[in-house]
Amino acid sequence: MKPCVLIVDDSLTVRMDLKEAMEAAGFDTITSASIASARRACQQGTFDLAILDVLLPDGDGLSLLQEIKATPGTADRPVLLLSSEDEVRDRVRGLRTGADDYVGKPYDVTQVVARARELVQRRRARTRERPLIVVIEDSPTFAAEMRASLEAAGYEVAVGVSGEEGLRLAADLRPDAVVADQVLPGIDGPEVIRRLRSDTALRRTPCLLLTASEDRTDELRALEAGADAFSQKHAGAPVILAKLAALLRTTRETAGAAALPSLLAPKRILAVDDSATFLGELCDQLRAEGYDVVAAHSGAEALELLGTQPVDGILLDLLMPEMSGQETCRRIKAEPAWRDIPLIILTALDESAAMIEGINAGADDYIAKSGDFEILKARLRAQLRRKQFEDENRDIREQLHRREMEAVETQALRELSETRAALIASLEQKNAEMLQANGELKRAKDAADSANRELESFSYSVSHDLRAPLRAVDGFSQLLLTQVGVQLDATARRHLERVREGTKRMGQLIDDMLSLAQVTRQPLRNEPVDLSAESLNIVAHLRTTPPAGRTVEVEVAAGLVAQGDRGLLRILLENLLGNAWKFTTKREQAYIEFGRQPPADGPVVFFVRDNGAGFDMKYANKLFGVFQRLHTMEEFPGTGVGLATVSRVVRRHGGKVWAESAVGQGATFFFTLADS
Amino acid sequence: MKSKTILLVEDNPDDRELTLLAFQHGHIGNAVTLAADGVEALEYLFCEGRHAERDRSHMPAVVLLDLKLPKIDGLEVLRRVRADARTRLLPVVILTSSKEEQDLINGYTLGANSYIRKPVDFDKFNEAIRQLGLYWLVINEIPPSTQVS
Repeated sequence: MKPCVLIVDDSLTVRMDLKEAMEAAGFDTITSASIASARRACQQGTFDLAILDVLLPDGDGLSLLQEIKATPGTADRPVLLLSSEDEVRDRVRGLRTGADDYVGKPYDVTQVVARARELVQRRRARTRERPLIVVIEDSPTFAAEMRASLEAAGYEVAVGVSGEEGLRLAADLRPDAVVADQVLPGIDGPEVIRRLRSDTALRRTPCLLLTASEDRTDELRALEAGADAFSQKHAGAPVILAKLAALLRTTRETAGAAALPSLLAPKRILAVDDSATFLGELCDQLRAEGYDVVAAHSGAEALELLGTQPVDGILLDLLMPEMSGQETCRRIKAEPAWRDIPLIILTALDESAAMIEGINAGADDYIAKSGDFEILKARLRAQLRRKQFEDENRDIREQLHRREMEAVETQALRELSETRAALIASLEQKNAEMLQANGELKRAKDAADSANRELESFSYSVSHDLRAPLRAVDGFSQLLLTQVGVQLDATARRHLERVREGTKRMGQLIDDMLSLAQVTRQPLRNEPVDLSAESLNIVAHLRTTPPAGRTVEVEVAAGLVAQGDRGLLRILLENLLGNAWKFTTKREQAYIEFGRQPPADGPVVFFVRDNGAGFDMKYANKLFGVFQRLHTMEEFPGTGVGLATVSRVVRRHGGKVWAESAVGQGATFFFTLADS
Repeated sequence: MKSKTILLVEDNPDDRELTLLAFQHGHIGNAVTLAADGVEALEYLFCEGRHAERDRSHMPAVVLLDLKLPKIDGLEVLRRVRADARTRLLPVVILTSSKEEQDLINGYTLGANSYIRKPVDFDKFNEAIRQLGLYWLVINEIPPSTQVS
């Protein structure tokens, strides 16, 4: 859609002149000769830009400006004031009221058009919600495809079918990025990018070059031309979109520096002189040269103007009433925002003292007033060029610095990724090692499992098969005794009794061995076990065997609780208390105690103490071995498995067991259940 | 009403004879049917094979079942007995040498009515068999369904 410009001027000549020029530049126009008719146009709010004369027959143009800026519907529309150059006050007032620019009369129509275009573009760029991409592509199919993908991804798209059209679009729209095909009719993609890069205002626009060819040298040529990124068309829209997104991200990060004005854009010069004659002539000469000139009649006016409108150069008369040129110069140069504006001192006298004074005040150059303006123009051009170069140099320095930073960052990233790769490699190796170890572990576990299964079936056989023949031996010898016992002599009967004794003992041995095996095989449960209660139960059971001709005093401490496997802990206590019961059978007053040691560092120590037969400490190391006995069968019966079982139960709980004794002095067995 | 009989499933001839002697000792005069393995036990109970011709209306008052048996072991016999409607309620007493916890658990889980471990000591064995006979043949009332087939 064409932008629309509202032209408000009471002079028909001006209206027609501007209308013609603007329409030629691609604008629609609405013209008004008075504030009243302009107001009606404003109410419709259909214009993109207003060019406004300050002096109008039915009122002040500035009040209309105020209305435009105060009305929500039109507040964001740029306004270009057009007024007589003589009224510096108007210019200052207009700019302070909110005008976006000010062009002095007599105006240069190309300059007005250029400014109008820039203002419209600036607003468009500012109000753009979605990033705008200019696609330069001559193939309608691919262009349509790109437009569809880009719009679907949330971009606004403008398509140019040739390099020239693309450049025009870029200049008009100031897009966020340009995507150009490499092969185009007329100027090709790399050339488009080269031209974009040579324009100060557009050189920062990110450019993505597309190619249909597979040739890698195309990429080099594209990058040489200044493209920021390169992609092959057949890589597909997602790849191109991803590259574009990355490109926009990096540009956004580095877009801190203010965009430089275009080198080719019209320069605005502030001319300051107290002599109206000289000032008029100077302005005419400069305007003829294509400059936009702002005139000020005094130092004060000059400072005021600078406060409202940026300029590209200053021509300053040295000898002025009130505020002198030196003073004005000093004030300008003291202001950070103005310090870099090239300032040339003008003086009627070619005297070195004045020159030195001017230079000392901070002027960039010095020139003698004369009727010959050619030197002045040349010096001004030189100063502007110098400024431009300085800006560009600064820009280049910034870019270099940025590149350096990027290089450092890239290096760091590369190192990081290398470290990461090394880490991953070592991780993978560790993983492989672990898998191998796991495999070995699994094999070992399988072997252990199968050994366990074998042991289980062995125990089962022992339990079942070894007992059956024993039962037969016992049964039939008993039958023999009852059937023919009366016919046998005492020796033969005793022998048969010995056979039965032997089978009973063997039966007991098998049972003990089975329970010892069970202690090792069973999975360990972990629960709180009331050892005091278990002990009292065991003692009650022991008391069912009448203690022949003796008293047994048993003391069990209250509240002894441990964490462990109830079944195994019961077996442990049965063995220890059973032993105490057994080894005190020769005491008339037996005493058995189950308790715990006073709290100390380390695990809780439980003990079972008796006043029985005791044992010699030099055999203490044999105590917990299987089938180890310290007493004869005649003294005390037993299989020598009980304490081995106790030791295994304690070991499975992560504890320790030991004993203290002396022959005839009783024995104390201590045990703990966990190291912690 | 038919007399109460005992089915003794036992492969070991020594144990078989000792058990019969123990019944004698305990003055238990009930008829005892012998089965030497799991297959024969099932044939008897379900009137198949060697026992296809027997009186189908008769069921033993109690089965004494060893666990370790050739061909089909005791636990499998028990499983099949409990799975069949005809023998679902039949009293089965496991009589074994095993003191494996797992055998005990499996036996009761599969529906054994009692689990008795054969003592090595013959006197104790005699006593156990006497009490067993007394309980299952005299004191205990047989479920009606075992008498109907």
